[in-house]
Amino acid sequence: MKLAFVPLLFGSYSPDLLTKWFVYGVNIGGWHLRASNPAQFQRGWPGVGFTHSLLFGVLVAFLVWRLSGSKTWAISFLIGQWAHAITDTGDTVGTMLFFPWTIHIHLGAWAYAGQTGRLTDAAAYFSGPGAVWDLFWIVYGIFSWRVLTRSYFESHVFTADAFWARANKFVPMAALLILYRTAFFYGTSRWIAWSLWAHVYHHYPYDISWGGPHWVHAAYSPDLTWPQLAGVLGIVAAGVAIFLVSRREFGKRSWAAIRAKLKLA
Amino acid sequence: MPSKRQLTVAGGYVLAAAVYISIGVFYTDFLLSYFVGLAYLLLVAWLVPAGVRRLF
Repeated sequence: MKLAFVPLLFGSYSPDLLTKWFVYGVNIGGWHLRASNPAQFQRGWPGVGFTHSLLFGVLVAFLVWRLSGSKTWAISFLIGQWAHAITDTGDTVGTMLFFPWTIHIHLGAWAYAGQTGRLTDAAAYFSGPGAVWDLFWIVYGIFSWRVLTRSYFESHVFTADAFWARANKFVPMAALLILYRTAFFYGTSRWIAWSLWAHVYHHYPYDISWGGPHWVHAAYSPDLTWPQLAGVLGIVAAGVAIFLVSRREFGKRSWAAIRAKLKLA
Repeated sequence: MPSKRQLTVAGGYVLAAAVYISIGVFYTDFLLSYFVGLAYLLLVAWLVPAGVRRLF
């Protein structure tokens, strides 16, 4: 199965794309616009926490499919958005992964501190287990350096998605290659920059213990009750079962035959 | 192992990252947006080298 890089990246940014600014606040013409409860706004309901749900990814991916006509773009967007929604369950607030069920799935591995403002939030994130989690992916990316080479881009990424060939009519290959490489450049460079800002320019202490850093006033979601946990496990089990059954069915019959049977266009 | 050419290209990106990081440490707004990062990289890794090649 081929994936398209641009919708994958856009999907991964989508949950925070239009909303993070309101979490931190912005000054416009003398007005300071900011959510009164940033954690509730960003991850909860009422709020825009549904942007971090699996259902939101499915609905937007469906729209992407209908508007673009490309299943590859839709699936790529979905994978990116699901990756963001699932990994944001790692902090102490978590996400409403199974919205419209409004419980927060949260591991509590690192502190959610968005309500403290942009700078303290950054200091906290780059002082705790969240930064270690990012570092793991940076190191993984460095060891996978071949995917950042021009030859890999031309043979695997460019050929997987017609977007690149269309863009190449207006933009030279060198610029497209930079567009492809920017995500890794941006992520790695800002990790280093924020780490230097927090620990060399300022002197925030590291605390990579579970739930850290504990020097920040973190926001927390309530722990799941046993019935809620049972419900979550039931949803996960149902999802796995559907996946396994559909794989078995697709192994038996071709997709065209299934579509004909279901009378899909 | 990467080729000499690949290492040269990587070195260019490391240099670009060093400048980006230096700006970002002292002016953190610079780090906020992926699109700022994209514009920066297009400038230093494409437009500036293309301009220099044209001049010399």
